[in-house]
Amino acid sequence: MSGSRATRLATIGVAVGAVVLLGLLLIPVGTLVAHGGIAGLRALGTDPELRQSLWLTVITATAATLVTVALGTPLAYLIARRRLPFASVVSAIVELPLLIPHPVAGIALLLAFGRASALGAVLSRVGVSVVGSATGIGLAMLFVAAPLYVSAAREAIARVDQRYEAVARTLGDGAWRAAWRITMPLSLRGLVAAAVVMWARAVSEFGAIVILTYNPKVASVLSYDRFTAYGLDSALPVAAVLVLLATLPLLVLRSLRNEPAEASA
Amino acid sequence: MIEVQKVSARAGRFSLSNVSFVVERGNWAVLLGPAGAGKTTLLETIAGVRDASGRVLLRGKDVSSLPPEQREVGMVYQHALLFPHLSVRQNIAYGAKDERGLAAARELGVESLLDRPVERLSGGERQLVALARALATGAEVLLLDEPFAALDPRRRIKVRSALRRMQRERGMTVLQVTHDFVEAGLLGDVAIVLENGAVQQVAPPNVLFRAPASATIADFVGAENVFTGSIEPAGAEVGDAAATMCFRGEGIELYAVGQRTAGPGHAVVRADDVTITTAGTVTSARNVLVGEISEVALDGVIARVAVRIHETTMMAIVTRASVEDLQLRTGTPVTAMIKATNVHLC
Repeated sequence: MSGSRATRLATIGVAVGAVVLLGLLLIPVGTLVAHGGIAGLRALGTDPELRQSLWLTVITATAATLVTVALGTPLAYLIARRRLPFASVVSAIVELPLLIPHPVAGIALLLAFGRASALGAVLSRVGVSVVGSATGIGLAMLFVAAPLYVSAAREAIARVDQRYEAVARTLGDGAWRAAWRITMPLSLRGLVAAAVVMWARAVSEFGAIVILTYNPKVASVLSYDRFTAYGLDSALPVAAVLVLLATLPLLVLRSLRNEPAEASA
Repeated sequence: MIEVQKVSARAGRFSLSNVSFVVERGNWAVLLGPAGAGKTTLLETIAGVRDASGRVLLRGKDVSSLPPEQREVGMVYQHALLFPHLSVRQNIAYGAKDERGLAAARELGVESLLDRPVERLSGGERQLVALARALATGAEVLLLDEPFAALDPRRRIKVRSALRRMQRERGMTVLQVTHDFVEAGLLGDVAIVLENGAVQQVAPPNVLFRAPASATIADFVGAENVFTGSIEPAGAEVGDAAATMCFRGEGIELYAVGQRTAGPGHAVVRADDVTITTAGTVTSARNVLVGEISEVALDGVIARVAVRIHETTMMAIVTRASVEDLQLRTGTPVTAMIKATNVHLC
């Protein structure tokens, strides 16, 4: 077989493989939007339960993301800069929820924070209920999606040349001040991208939430509820709106990727 | 003053081992060494941005346990490392305690760049801004990692002279990494040679170039003639201080002045200490070697002449006029002469 023919065949093989995979990814989503997109947009005006569940989804996902950004960014920094003892163990702990099936994560959260648990009892005494509440939804979202944020944030921080901080320190900054004034702004785009990915993952979470908090219903639970109770036609508009909601972070991510690369020396 | 006592550190594949030296207050020290010798690691250790064992004293005070922000040193990395999210003005003002930042910017000729974003600066401009940023802190100790490497030759001369003036006015102590021997000779009050993470020699640059402590240093500082062989006493001692030594190796015999333990060693001769003649050999020079020219390379007003002597080649630097007057060509029989005082044994 001549070289050019082999190259042509390989190119065709790669192209066919790419088309098959893209089809597998796009066809289900496209079909869903084609069947339920218009109805979904219409339902936004006529279906108060859908509006409520979407609002709840957005609020809880945003809250979970903000809490994770506040707590996870310093942790990601410490891991990235290897300023933690047993940094690899800490990384493994952070990534553990990614490996657990989500309903199992829900069960674990229920055991840890449910009313029967010691922690749940303490929280209940201060008026915080984790089961069957927006707090529970946020907690479930945080549990399953925070690892994505911390991992991506760690990568974004690690990409910033550490010597920038070294220079800032010779210019009078303490370690944390240098991190705040130099590393955070330089890794900001990566941190925002990490937060967007986490938010999108939180919005689409179902397994852990459904165990911890069936009611009030987030959009994913509502779509499942309608599917089991009323059938496909009833679930379609909710599912289509969820897909449309998921495209928002995709757009944000794309715009972030189009900006110039992050600083490193 | 910078004093480093038995400092050891590790940074990836670079390491420092028991490094000790002193740079007196107000002196300019140049740090020389091949790539990977640990020069940048040493600067970082002194600045406190890298963990190390041993002691670092700055301005006479032990700062070994102090964080970088309390050591009061200005540091300039080779790649400038300007903060890319800040303007030039903000970079210079970052650690400035008073108006010194602007003064330094003025002296270094970067005032016109103040409102430019960093990404629109050339490599040389970045280095100037990084210098101004370090000077703006008013630090008495300046650590510079090849700060002039990206400057064009004309600007390099101007900046070197401006920085030298500021250093003298402010009484700063400077430790500068350089690969430029001319620069080392021009700026350095003292030169420190680092190799494989250890100090090999500390001496004024002219001594380092004329009397390197080892053949490796001689090679590194660009000595053109380094011969390997054996050394033995030759001739009567003059008092107790000096003796004539004889080097034999690579088919040549060279006499040198000075005390040196007999045994294997090296002879180092700078090419500009070699005189060439085509006529007689009556001379006061102790070393007279007969050979034949194997190459003449003209370089502006000077010429590098390679003389084949037995098994080895001796390099000489002469003027272009001498090449023409003596009609030096490949194959011309010549005599190379070197005074014994210009042969360094190590």
